Amino acid sequence: MTPIYATLVGIAMGFFIQRVRASSPGMIARNLRLENLSVIKFMALTMAVGMILVYTLSLFIPQLLHFDIKPTYVLGVLLGGLVFGVGFGVGGYCPGTSVVGMGEGRKDAVVAILGGIVGAFVFTVVYSVLIAPLVKVMDFGKITLADVTHQSPFVVAIVVGALFLVVIKLLPTEVQKSR
Amino acid sequence: MSYSASGGAATERQTRVPAWAFYGVLFGILGALSILAWGPIGVSGTHPRFVGEILELVAPSYAGSNEYVQKVGHLFSKGETFVVIGLLFGGFLGARLNREKAPACEVIHPSEKTPARRYRDAFIGGFLIVFGARIAGGCTSGHIISGITQLSVSGFIFAVGVFATGIFTAKTLKGRHQATGA
Repeated sequence: MTPIYATLVGIAMGFFIQRVRASSPGMIARNLRLENLSVIKFMALTMAVGMILVYTLSLFIPQLLHFDIKPTYVLGVLLGGLVFGVGFGVGGYCPGTSVVGMGEGRKDAVVAILGGIVGAFVFTVVYSVLIAPLVKVMDFGKITLADVTHQSPFVVAIVVGALFLVVIKLLPTEVQKSR
Repeated sequence: MSYSASGGAATERQTRVPAWAFYGVLFGILGALSILAWGPIGVSGTHPRFVGEILELVAPSYAGSNEYVQKVGHLFSKGETFVVIGLLFGGFLGARLNREKAPACEVIHPSEKTPARRYRDAFIGGFLIVFGARIAGGCTSGHIISGITQLSVSGFIFAVGVFATGIFTAKTLKGRHQATGA
């Protein structure tokens, strides 16, 4: 059943991304230049709603949830984020939005996907030598904010979710008109 | 689709819910449903799995001995691959049902004066986002959206890195242009 669920989730996700114009690299660039914050607010709202929902569900039906926490190897995660950010700023795409953009008929999205495949190839080749040692540095394993703060995940989700909602409410969407 | 907010500033002034808020709530529910159905949404693992499948075809002995090809696993054994296929159709439907025509090549920095320069930026950007995501073990979907939804510490750290250089890079690419007066 997973392939069917996953395809349906992907279709809905691609539709949402297209509708908020997150698949437009120009819109991503405007968000990163902090001229317009609509995509950043979209992402923050998604996470706030998601965390409150899943950790509320986990109070009642924990056995039905498939949580999958990624390990926190601090140096590699941060370095990867910094490299990702440069690519995000230069190209205006992330891996997901480039696929949505291709579905919309954007040729630069196809080029970004090709760049990504070449990036994945180079990564695969250098992994054993360069990356495998890196991911062992400062590896704290699969930890959440609830583990770090020794609080109930539900309480942390409500607090962080509420904090996100307040920030979303306070931030303007259109900061300045560009061009 | 009667709902066709442009996503721009114009929608904000109206009393109706802006597109980012409407679809943000729906995407949050979708992420929770995905964790109920099989697991958190992710995307960038698909790229090395695709590369792995090609290597299995053209250089099976190398693929068999490569640590990362073995680590990421097969393309069609993962739900993620089907999410990516769905994204392609979702983007198509979003544009089609709302009669939108996306530009084939959208200029995003002042320095992209020719299509070739835009394609160069798209290629470099595409390379770095996947390379960076694989170092970190996830991208905007897996680490930021799904990671922070699950309150994973790694998601917050990745997001800090992404927005630090993302904002710096995007602002620099615009500012440098203005400074040179081009």
